[in-house]
Amino acid sequence: MTGAALPGPALPGPVPQGAGAAAAGPVMAQPRLRIVLSLARIEAVRIGRGWLVLGGLLGGVLLIGAWYWSGQVQPLWWEAGWRIGGGQLILAMAMLAAAQLAAGRSRRDGMADLYASFPATAGLRTLALLASLAGAVPASLLMIAAGVVTVQLDGPIGAPSLMVLVAGVVLVLAAGAAGIAIGTRFPHPLAGLFGALVLFLPAATTHLLPGSARWLLPWQVIQDQLGSLPGPLTGYPPAGAHAAELAGLAIAAAIVAVLMTARSGRARAWLAAGGVLAAAVICFAGTAQLEPVPTAELNHLATEMADPASAQHCDTAGQVRYCLYPGFGRELSSVAAPVNKVLALLPVRPSPTLTVRQVLSVDFTDAGLTRGQAQQQISRWLAQTRDAPGTVAATSAIYLTAGAWPASGGSLTDADFNVALAAADWAVGFTAGGRIQPYPPRDEAREAVAIWLAILATHPPAGELQQGVTRQGFSPRPRSGSQPGRPAFFSIWFYPDGGAGAVTAPGPQVIPASEYLLAKAMTGLPERRVNQVLKDRWATWVSARTTAAQLAAALGVTS
Amino acid sequence: MTARLRALPLLARYIPRTMPWVTLLTGCLTSLAIFTVLVRVAHHDQATFWLDQGTIRLSLLPAVAALAFVPYLPFRPLTRATPVPAWVTPVGHLLLAAPILALTYWAQQRIMTTAVPPHTPQDPHEPTYALIAQLVGWFAVTVAVAAWIARSRFAELAGAVAAPIAFSIIALAWYLPITAKFLVHPPAIAHSVAIGWYSIAAVALTLTCLAMRDHWHRYTRVLRRIAAPGRGRGQSGEPSSKRGDASPARGAGATVAR
Repeated sequence: MTGAALPGPALPGPVPQGAGAAAAGPVMAQPRLRIVLSLARIEAVRIGRGWLVLGGLLGGVLLIGAWYWSGQVQPLWWEAGWRIGGGQLILAMAMLAAAQLAAGRSRRDGMADLYASFPATAGLRTLALLASLAGAVPASLLMIAAGVVTVQLDGPIGAPSLMVLVAGVVLVLAAGAAGIAIGTRFPHPLAGLFGALVLFLPAATTHLLPGSARWLLPWQVIQDQLGSLPGPLTGYPPAGAHAAELAGLAIAAAIVAVLMTARSGRARAWLAAGGVLAAAVICFAGTAQLEPVPTAELNHLATEMADPASAQHCDTAGQVRYCLYPGFGRELSSVAAPVNKVLALLPVRPSPTLTVRQVLSVDFTDAGLTRGQAQQQISRWLAQTRDAPGTVAATSAIYLTAGAWPASGGSLTDADFNVALAAADWAVGFTAGGRIQPYPPRDEAREAVAIWLAILATHPPAGELQQGVTRQGFSPRPRSGSQPGRPAFFSIWFYPDGGAGAVTAPGPQVIPASEYLLAKAMTGLPERRVNQVLKDRWATWVSARTTAAQLAAALGVTS
Repeated sequence: MTARLRALPLLARYIPRTMPWVTLLTGCLTSLAIFTVLVRVAHHDQATFWLDQGTIRLSLLPAVAALAFVPYLPFRPLTRATPVPAWVTPVGHLLLAAPILALTYWAQQRIMTTAVPPHTPQDPHEPTYALIAQLVGWFAVTVAVAAWIARSRFAELAGAVAAPIAFSIIALAWYLPITAKFLVHPPAIAHSVAIGWYSIAAVALTLTCLAMRDHWHRYTRVLRRIAAPGRGRGQSGEPSSKRGDASPARGAGATVAR
């Protein structure tokens, strides 16, 4: 693998050290560039087809696929580019380990003397290794291609940022250069593994690091708010500056690697000067990354969150207004489908108009977003967005968090059911105040009707619905100054994937299991009969005072 | 039996000397350093509520990587030819590594305790026994992979190859929904996590034993004769080859290929 000597055909035969000038002559005559290029070509092939790089490529593609194939993440291009970079991080880790193994080859297992007898000096070999990093570029480009195809197949919103994708390639090259620098000094294979872990651990623990410094890390994917934005935000993240920082790191690592093998004083001086230049690039890029996001952009974002109507485009279909942020219009049909099905099943339509609106859940306390802004300004944004739509439910509105449709960890069926249940809750007259659950949980016929409507509209798997039946303890609300009482246990029901679609709507937070069981029994009855019973006394069934037992009796359902 | 016991003092000197102390200690100290930095940064940033067992797990990865280099058998072809079974050295190394790894984990717990006082809202409520089971599972998987790779043509780089493979196995066990149901808390309950990881550790241990076995049948009588040359049958003038034993003249080659 990497322990063997370099294959020889591209090079002249070994020249023993200490041989006379006659022997050294042809070697000196050999153009150095040609040696470097020959070695680089061989090393590039070895790196490119090495199991480490291929494994890293596979791991990166699987990581990107895991995000998008499972529907965990909505494909938004202003975020997807960084997620593809997350895949590049896996490839970069593999690249670092592979480059370290290649660079440490000559000193590992006491092979230094053998390599010293070769016509290529250690300095030339290091230069060749650095040039061979080009062998990783096809793998990196392949990763980008796989990532782009994956995102594109999912129907993305927005357009990809070339700078972010390029930064991913630079990350791989920088990791390779760092691997060579490490391997030149530390030939033990553990050093490469440590280097890869040093690349990975900060990315995996960004939640522990100060928010403002997150973008200085080689790459980070998890702790950002890109997925909550309604569109790209200038300067968040600072992609160009980040690419420049990575390029600076790559040059610095390459200079360190060459510096360790260069013997000539003049070469060392030039390298030191280059090192200073690379350090300056890194510092400037770092400073640029810590620059605050333009206040006007954040002002606009806060307005979009506090007053979505000012930025959204609304369409009215039937009795429902759908208001979505620009660019999210393609979601209209999938959001409207379950709502329309519920409305079609209603025996009596309520008079007020229902609004289905996208809302934002941007966290203005995140220092990664508001870095460098005055505390007063941040407080103003927080005050402005405190009562933004979606933070609390409204009687005639269903709120969908932007960037979480239909994902947020669930499937489209789950999200459809949640929207359908929200629409049905509105249709049977639940108000925003109905979310405060009395003790003990109140049994209402109208929730059974709402669940029945949602089941008929979306047909979720019966087994999944049944999984939601559970027992839970509730304590009576303590009076002021008194201790909470002992909890009593009640059978309740919740939709197992209630988070899918990130829906905020009127309706009870706790649903007694009896209501679900009645709804389930209703689905077994002829639809026309249930419709007739509901239509005859609709006002009674949607009254908060009518119990599920009364509805069951009217339908002839026995427990 | 007595002869075997007599060999113990010799091995007790040889095994610690060939143990990759620098590699293991570097891994453990790196783990501790990373953990300390993370705790300090979180403490400074008033984000200690984020510190949990996941932080311990992640920061122990360098120690896991270092462990992959421990079952390495130095001078493999020569060691295999000696009368001592080939597994003695790696097993001895692993026994020496166990307390070092335990000490690293204990030190991390101590650092965590000082950063996050117990019985505070930030106190991680995940039971420690589940975490220990996970770490035992990780270590066992790493050792098993390293032991199997040591039998392949990549033996010289067994640690470097084993660590990424072990990390991949751990990551797959962690993120595949089918395994996460039993091995990750939550969704799995702590008991399930402990049972699951200890089962994996048991399987990995069995695989390690299989990987470390000798490549050929060993004539154990040779050990006795070498340990007590003055009292062996060869001394009485009776040719040992008569009894089917390998002669001392065959020395290091006192083994017969299958």
